[in-house]
Amino acid sequence: MVRSWKILIESFLAGKFDLTHMLFPIPVWMRFKQNIPIKVLAWDHTNGSAVTVRGNSEIYKFADLGGKQVAVPSWYSMHNLILQMGIRTQGLKPVIKPQSAKLAADEVNLFILPPPDMPTALLGRRIDAFIVADPFNALAQEKFNARIMRFTGDIWKDHPCCVVVANQNFIDKNSIVVQKAMNAIVRAQAWCTKNPLETAHLLSRDGERYLPFPETILARVFKSNLHKTQLVHPHWDVTRIGFQPFPFPSATRFIVDQMKKTKVEGDNSFLSSLDTGAAAQELVDETFVRKAIDETGGVHVFNSSNMEKPFTREEVVEIN
Amino acid sequence: MKSINRKLDSDSRQVGLDSFSNRMEFGWKFELLGLALFACAWILVSCFIFTRPEFSQFKGFLPGPTLSALMDAFQDSRFWISVFASLRRILVGIFLASILGFPLGIIIGFYPMLRGLSYSSIQFIRMISPLSWMPIALLLFTSFESAVYFLIVMATICPIILNTAIGVLHINPQWIKMALNQGANNFQLIRTIVIPSSLPQMMTSLRLALGVAWIVLVPAEFLGVSSGLGYLINDARDTMEYDKLMAMIIAIGILGFLLDRLFQKLQVNFNRSWDK
Repeated sequence: MVRSWKILIESFLAGKFDLTHMLFPIPVWMRFKQNIPIKVLAWDHTNGSAVTVRGNSEIYKFADLGGKQVAVPSWYSMHNLILQMGIRTQGLKPVIKPQSAKLAADEVNLFILPPPDMPTALLGRRIDAFIVADPFNALAQEKFNARIMRFTGDIWKDHPCCVVVANQNFIDKNSIVVQKAMNAIVRAQAWCTKNPLETAHLLSRDGERYLPFPETILARVFKSNLHKTQLVHPHWDVTRIGFQPFPFPSATRFIVDQMKKTKVEGDNSFLSSLDTGAAAQELVDETFVRKAIDETGGVHVFNSSNMEKPFTREEVVEIN
Repeated sequence: MKSINRKLDSDSRQVGLDSFSNRMEFGWKFELLGLALFACAWILVSCFIFTRPEFSQFKGFLPGPTLSALMDAFQDSRFWISVFASLRRILVGIFLASILGFPLGIIIGFYPMLRGLSYSSIQFIRMISPLSWMPIALLLFTSFESAVYFLIVMATICPIILNTAIGVLHINPQWIKMALNQGANNFQLIRTIVIPSSLPQMMTSLRLALGVAWIVLVPAEFLGVSSGLGYLINDARDTMEYDKLMAMIIAIGILGFLLDRLFQKLQVNFNRSWDK
């Protein structure tokens, strides 16, 4: 198991893996800032993240985050993107300051924390909220009754999170291997969609030990129905975590656009000159995943609502 | 020869460990008492801090949960696999570092010119946290396992080189003069006088290396390996199971203690045979 995005990226660049998965904004940064010829081949899961606060916290909506400290897992993460979308629409200002700095009432201070440290920091009152992928939200819920302030799937319906990434050179030389790997991934996604609780069991330390978490915590994430009271948009009918292989171009464009508005530490000037449409096209290679979806029984397996044009969708984003 | 005319007290002497490493005459009773006092301190401090209601999630740090987690671990085959994996990483790492470090230390100690040449670079490298080598380790080595070895070597090689060189510097100049008078060449000097008489210092350097190796092991097991005590500590942090975390800390402490004891035994034997 590789435990940090930094190590994962470095190992991928050193050629330790041919195929890997990354938070969606990372390949954008790698492709257009570092000019590494990588391609996004498919999506992994959708949704699967949340903003978590302490059980007795007064934070119920994004507007309540003014003057608070919020942890994000990485500057180039979906979490940072979605959180800052939420903060901005409420007229608040995301800032990156030392934790001791005085915050204005409309400022939200962001900083990086490794996901495993987030629940502990929240409990120890070092931070007021964090946004991260499950199972760390579920862990905080289970361990000390933390409250989910908002599921990210409840902000942006069925948004992508991690994506399958490979190097263009590898794809060119090994297109058959890549196709077979894609077939396997899509088949696994179809199986996980159909068998969420078995998936939780297999991943857990009570099953095949892919993750150190007990089954109870993972089952919280995978059991399909979210309670209506936990959602702002119950009619969206989203799951806490879902699986969708097809990389809808509309979502890629939306992410690149959002990245331009998202505050990060370090130099992100490469984004301002980036043409969203062209970048989205250059970054994603749909050919393998389309074939793989056909092999696995067609698009309806991942219940696309629009059967006439199954490979397009409209991004539904609503923040309140 | 060239090393003779140096003043003993102007050397940057490795201080601090001498009394710890060489003198064991207080006997086991004091050691046992020391351990008991240490355990009492842990019990007192943890009971004082972690019994507060706002820390109820951190009860795992208390002695009770820790010991029962340690007992559970002893019965778990994964724990023993991890112990074995970590021990192998430490020992292989130190072995590789000593293969490189001993010869380097000897020639650096022996030739003043080399000493001058290497002094600033060694001091430079010594100050760098071994973990900053992580990206280089990942680039240079194909497997994660060898990357871990590399990190341990980077962490332990400087104490080995420095201590070996200091051992060479502290050789009684009379011996060397005598050997020179009898027409010994450099190679003979190194083989018959320098290496044997700096062996005790080399053993000390191994004991220092051991401590440093454990320090880097836990973060090094962040790399893509799937066993090891550091790996289990990271697992425990991921799942907020602090009793398991403390249990692994204690397991590392016990292992480190035993290894140090082993090295100490070796060292005492060497001291006896060479200090005649």
